[in-house]
Amino acid sequence: MITQTAPSTPRASAPSSPVPQRRRRKPSLYRTLSRVLIMLIVIVQVYPLAWLFLTSLRTEHDFATGDPFALPSSLTWENYARAFETGDLGRNILNSFIVTMGANILIVLFGMMAAYAIQVLGFRLSRFVRALFLVGIIVPVQIALVPLFIDYSAVNLLDTYQSMIIPLAGFALPMSIYLFSSFFEYIPRETYEAASLDGAGPYRIFGLITLPLSLNTVVTVVLVNSIFIWNDFIFANTFVLSEDLKTIPLGLQNYIGAMGKVDWTATFAAVCVTITPLLLVFLVLNKAMIQGLESGANKG
Amino acid sequence: MLPNRSRTSVLVFLLPPLLLYCAAVLFPILQSLFLSFFSWNGISEMEFVGLENYVRMLTADDIFWRSFFNALLYLAICLVLQLGGALLVASLLTSLRRGRELIKTLYLLPAVISTVAIAFLFVRIYSIDPVGLLNQLLHWVGLGSLERAWLSDVNTVLAAVSAPEGWRFTGLYMLIIYAALIAVPKELEEAAVLDGASKWTLFTKIRFPYIRPVWITTTIMATTYGLRGFDIPYLMTNGGPGQSSELLTTYMYKTAFTSTDFGYASTISVFIVIECLVAVGLILFMLKRKADS
Repeated sequence: MITQTAPSTPRASAPSSPVPQRRRRKPSLYRTLSRVLIMLIVIVQVYPLAWLFLTSLRTEHDFATGDPFALPSSLTWENYARAFETGDLGRNILNSFIVTMGANILIVLFGMMAAYAIQVLGFRLSRFVRALFLVGIIVPVQIALVPLFIDYSAVNLLDTYQSMIIPLAGFALPMSIYLFSSFFEYIPRETYEAASLDGAGPYRIFGLITLPLSLNTVVTVVLVNSIFIWNDFIFANTFVLSEDLKTIPLGLQNYIGAMGKVDWTATFAAVCVTITPLLLVFLVLNKAMIQGLESGANKG
Repeated sequence: MLPNRSRTSVLVFLLPPLLLYCAAVLFPILQSLFLSFFSWNGISEMEFVGLENYVRMLTADDIFWRSFFNALLYLAICLVLQLGGALLVASLLTSLRRGRELIKTLYLLPAVISTVAIAFLFVRIYSIDPVGLLNQLLHWVGLGSLERAWLSDVNTVLAAVSAPEGWRFTGLYMLIIYAALIAVPKELEEAAVLDGASKWTLFTKIRFPYIRPVWITTTIMATTYGLRGFDIPYLMTNGGPGQSSELLTTYMYKTAFTSTDFGYASTISVFIVIECLVAVGLILFMLKRKADS
């Protein structure tokens, strides 16, 4: 609206009120510019992904010779057929699902328990324990690779689901504890005191009050962690060798053939298949996810 | 504190998470520290060498220093793209009336894609034969002389492997900064505008100081994530050509799992941890001091 009215306001006619006029003119130019800039940036963010999808529908010949920006000359689903022939995509997706679920259960349950002990129950060394957990937010995951590799081979855990789930859950635990404790702060003390007077012990209070109230935070924690765990490459690449246990990131690597020769269109088809599950979850639940990400960092 | 709690109940809730955390995070850190004083290939007898690994790393290993400086440059590029891009888009977004939710979702989209897929994608974007997106774009805007195989050129490869990491996570930081920006009290901004403050003054004097705590958090997040960057360089170039895109993390990984030199690899990981702690300390020190002055 303002964009249309502002230029028609004659400049000289309102010398007595320069401030409102300036306020009306400037933002419109600023707004148009920022709109254009935002569109450009969004295109840079999204176009590569659209291109990925288009390429997965191209014929091989079209891909090797054509202009990369051009629309495919003909659409084909053949790449998808080849993608399913080359790799065991179903197996990879199932494995990623198992690892993501396993790690998420540990992250949510243990995160909630630790936050409950630190924030609600309270004990003498609680500050120290909290600081101990915070270390895990800063420390890079690579530090654990060599020690865990050695420990796993000592106790025969190499090449198992657990070998991926344990470090993924362990390194995500600090953030989960942090999110749960900042939520627990908002549950009024009186609620607990009333329950205590009625004779409820710490276990019943956890099960009947804390747990049901935290469901929103659970959704946040699960969604945010799922992005990272579903896509984890480094732990899977280090600890898993057998085809049967390969998660999506490892499965995709199989598409690089001998001597580095790559069937690109089939590879992009495989990429499209494997990103679909998480993408769907993200698009359906993006409000919850975005809210979680925003509140997580802004509470600190 | 809960009145009815007992010592056992605290232990019941605290011990399982603490055990998992110790097994996966704390114990491995200590173990790395321990291993860093040994020479060990995983099979033969472990041999105590004292500080020899550290001396070798700091004084005699050119690849280590090369990777260290590469990692710093990688971090710088990631920070500019992620935090700069995030702050820019978040500020612009606050001036939009409609479509904020859509843009937030689109902007976050790359964060959902796995690094292996991103590596594949960018290998094609940078490629020269068949001509990739980047080279084609340069050709169109008349900068055809810049066309090259970005990943085989020692001068461009490091920037080329850093950009995807920046691209991937900028949406995440944008969301966080955006949430902080819209929490800036409207009265403050309106009062400043009435006093004739320009957009720029408004930003530097009102908005930015207000979001400084969140800015510190995001800077720390982006820095620690940048310092642990691994997947994309490892997958796209494996540190090559030569050592032009080798980072400390990829060097550590290869030392451990290709050369099976567990002792020396642990020395490098200890260095990476110290580097992260120092970086976080520096950020807190600099940004806090600025806030006080």
